[in-house]
Amino acid sequence: MNARILTFSSRGDTTLLEYDPETADMEEVNRVIAEYETKTGAQPFDMATGERIDKVTHQQKEVLMVHPIAGG
Amino acid sequence: MAPESVSLIAFLALMIWGLILPGLLRRSLAREAAKRNRPHNSLLERHFHSTDRFGAVLTQVNRSDNGPNGVHAFKREDRAKTYLRRIVALTGATQIGNKYVLDVGTTRFTVRDGYVGRLRHATNPKSIERETCFYFALREVPRAEQIAAALLQLKNNPALFDKWVAQSGLLFKADGTKVQPRPVMEPWWNAN
Repeated sequence: MNARILTFSSRGDTTLLEYDPETADMEEVNRVIAEYETKTGAQPFDMATGERIDKVTHQQKEVLMVHPIAGG
Repeated sequence: MAPESVSLIAFLALMIWGLILPGLLRRSLAREAAKRNRPHNSLLERHFHSTDRFGAVLTQVNRSDNGPNGVHAFKREDRAKTYLRRIVALTGATQIGNKYVLDVGTTRFTVRDGYVGRLRHATNPKSIERETCFYFALREVPRAEQIAAALLQLKNNPALFDKWVAQSGLLFKADGTKVQPRPVMEPWWNAN
């Protein structure tokens, strides 16, 4: 089963990337996630536990990139 | 071969070519238009399409699972509600009417559309509740998903509430880091 990185966006829930966790180069996945965070401020959460994660591993099957929030 | 036969063959060939050519042109133009209209998702797309280090594992990049705005708005809202239900369950929050109550230690947060309240000591009736509004970095994200994101962030980092109150209008990442407005105020696929 493929793993996926998704986010909530103005287009609705959007799959940013999908990969086979058994064979994927996780360093590469994390590098791209880091780039995405740099551009958007979104940070990864494991959708199995609801916890924020620093690095995505082979174990995570669904990761949600959560965008920043402001108070008003 | 008789000159009449040659003329006939040439005539038939021209007719067939005349029938096929417009179709080929249309397909070619459509392909070009599709290329031009494709959104700029250069970061991920460039990365994964130009390298094979991922090893034939990427099946799709930047896929909106709901289609464009408005077209599948109902489906989009439905899916957003599904995500909210999942995240409510993950964070241990409970829904009361249109509010979502989240306990983190002794602190109780109440999240609803665009507003979040905090009661420092949920068991103390004298505890004073504070409320602030909140908004998402990206515009037009379904409300259910905004609430879901707020629940996830507060569950992991309840101190975010103080930042939202103290520095209104500034965007904070889930870990509490302040972000510069530019990169987050526009969709990431337009950021390049």
